[in-house]
Amino acid sequence: MEPHHFFTAQRVLIVAGKGGVGKSAVAGSLALLAAQSGLRALLVSFDAETIEVPAHERLERVTVTPGNALTDYLASKGMGLISRQLAKSGIVELVATTAPGLDDLLVLGRIKAFEKELRADIIIVDGPAAGHAIDLVRAPLQLKRALASGPIAQQADEVLAMLADGARCKILMVTTPAMTPVQETVEAASELRDDVHIVLAPVVVNKKEPDVPSLSTTDMSQELVDAYTYAAQRAQAQQEAIAVLSSTLELPQMFITRRRLDGGELVTAMVEDLALAIDALP
Amino acid sequence: MTSLTIDALCTDAHVLVTCGTGGVGKTSVAAALGVRAAQLGRRVCVITIDPAKRLADAIGLTNDLGNEPQQVVTDSIGELWVTMLDVRETFDNLVRSTSPTPERAREVMDNSFYRNLSRSISGTRDYMAAERLYELSNDERFDLIIVDTPPSRNALDFLESPERLARFLKHPIVRLLIAPSRGGFRIANAALTPVLKLISNIVGSDALSGVAAFLKAFDGMENEFSRRALAVADTLRSDKTGFVVVTAPSPDALKEADHFVSELKRLGITLKMIVANRMPPRFGRTSSTAEHLAATSSSGEIAVMHSLLAELCEDAERAEIGINGFLARADLKFAGVPSCTATEMPSDIHDMESIALLAQQLAAPQPRQ
Repeated sequence: MEPHHFFTAQRVLIVAGKGGVGKSAVAGSLALLAAQSGLRALLVSFDAETIEVPAHERLERVTVTPGNALTDYLASKGMGLISRQLAKSGIVELVATTAPGLDDLLVLGRIKAFEKELRADIIIVDGPAAGHAIDLVRAPLQLKRALASGPIAQQADEVLAMLADGARCKILMVTTPAMTPVQETVEAASELRDDVHIVLAPVVVNKKEPDVPSLSTTDMSQELVDAYTYAAQRAQAQQEAIAVLSSTLELPQMFITRRRLDGGELVTAMVEDLALAIDALP
Repeated sequence: MTSLTIDALCTDAHVLVTCGTGGVGKTSVAAALGVRAAQLGRRVCVITIDPAKRLADAIGLTNDLGNEPQQVVTDSIGELWVTMLDVRETFDNLVRSTSPTPERAREVMDNSFYRNLSRSISGTRDYMAAERLYELSNDERFDLIIVDTPPSRNALDFLESPERLARFLKHPIVRLLIAPSRGGFRIANAALTPVLKLISNIVGSDALSGVAAFLKAFDGMENEFSRRALAVADTLRSDKTGFVVVTAPSPDALKEADHFVSELKRLGITLKMIVANRMPPRFGRTSSTAEHLAATSSSGEIAVMHSLLAELCEDAERAEIGINGFLARADLKFAGVPSCTATEMPSDIHDMESIALLAQQLAAPQPRQ
C-alpha cells in the first residue's frame, strides 16, 4: 500500500498503547512519514513534554490539554473572559467534577474541530495509555447517558459520530512483542470495537528484536553461551507473543525493529521501518 | 549511602507505595515485595489498582471477587493476600459507613450523579484508592499494605485526592448546593447565581439538579468524609509509609521516574527506595572488546555471536549509564536514597515463580556500581 493511501483512509488516527511500548515515538514517526509523503500532517499531543520529532514543512504540532480545551470551548460560546476568571477561581475543577469525563470529551471535541475545519490531511493523535484510551473514547457515551440535552450532550453526539465513522477516525494500537502488552492490546482492541464501535487501523508491533540465528558450533566461551541462551530465550518469548497476537487479533501487523537510539534520531529510523511495513500491507 | 535494604523496608513499614510509569514492572515489583515481606513473617496485603490481566492471573486475582482480599498460597511463614480496587464497592461502603441512616445511604446511592461518579472515572478512582488504603491499613488481618499505583503520569494524584475532596466539599458553590436554606443564603446566592447559571449552561440543567440532589442527600456526611480524607493523608505522610519509585533503564522510563521523584519532593513525602528493574543482563566483556572479536573472528557463526554479545553489552552499558544518572539526580533531592536492581528475564513475569525470583533478586545484597 502507498503511504498516501494508508494515511488518507481516515482523517484522524488515534495512537494508543500501554506505557513503555513507544506510543509517542510511533505517533511521531507516523506524522513525519505522512508529511514526507506529501500530506499536511497535524500531530496532537496531550502533554507538552513529549517526544522530539524532526521538523518538516508539512508537519504541525499542537498540544491539547483538558484545561485549554475547556477554555477554548467556553471562548467559542462567547464566554472567553468568564472562562479565564473561572480557571483562576478553581470553578473549572468543580465543573469537571460535576460532569466526570467532561475533560476527555472536550479534548476529543478539539480534535473533532480540527478534523471539521480540515486543519490537515491527516491528524495523528498521540493518545493516552491503552487503559485510559478506553476511558477517553467512552467519555462521550457516558456523558450522553448522564445529560439528556444541552451543549455538552450535543458535543458528545458530534464526537460519537466521528468516532463511529471509520472513514473519519480510526484507532491505531501499538504493542511490543511481549505477552503482557499483547494481551492488554487484544483486550483493549475488543473493547474498543465491541463497546465503542471504533474501527481499528493495523496494529504496530514496536521494538522487535532481530531473530537469533541457529548455531551449529558449540565450541564457544561461557559468556557467548550465556548471551546466546538469553537472546534465544528472548526471541522465543517474542515469537510466542506475536503468535498470540496473530491468532487473537485479526488485524494486519506492522513491525518496527528496536533501535538503540533516542529522540529525533529514533523517530527518523522508525519512519524507515514504518514505510516498509505500510508498503507490505495489502 | 544508607544501608536500608529491601528486607529492612519490608520489615518496618506499615504501608509501601510503588510508583512508576507503565512498562517498568511496577505491579510485579509490588507483588515481589509482598512475597518477600511474607517470607519475613509479615501478614501482607498487596492492592493493585489496575493490573494487567496476565499478572492478575499470575497472582490469582480475579475480577469478580470485588474488594475482598484473597490469600495466596505460599510456603512462607507470613501471609500474602492480594486484592484489586473495586471503585464502586469502595464508594458504596464509604457512603454506608458515613451515612446517618440506611435510608440516606440508599438515597445517595440511587442518585444518577452518584452512579456516574462512582463508575470508573479517574478522579474517583484516585480517591477510592486512598480510601481503600485507609480501610486496609486499619484492618487487623494485615500488618503491611503494599499499594501498586496506576501506571500513569498522574499516579500520585491519589495522594492529593483526599485533600482535594475536602476542599471541594468546602467550596462555596458546593456549600450553596448542599444547604441553600441555611443562614446567609441570600447573600451567597446573589453572588453565586451567575456562576451556577454558567455551570448549568455548560453541563445542562438536568445534570446540575442531579448534582444538587446528590449533595443534599450527602449533607451531614461530608464532615466524616473530610475527616477520613485527612486521616488518609496522615497515613500517607507517616514515617511508617514508604514510597518506592520503580523504573526501567530506558530513557522515557527514566524521564518519568525523574518526574515521580520531583512530585514526591513537592508533596513533602520521603522517597525510601529506588528499584532499578528490568536491567539488561551483563555477559562479561565490554561492547568494544566484543565488537573487536566479532571483526577478527575467523568463523562466521562465532563472528555473529560476538556481534550479538556486543549488542547485549552495549544495552547493559547504556542501561547502567542511564540508571546511574537518574540515581545521582534522585540523590540531589533525597540524599542517600538507597536503590536496588533486578535483571530483566528473557520472558515477561507471568507466574508466582517468576515473581519469587524477582523477590530474590531485590532482596539480594546489592553491589554499588
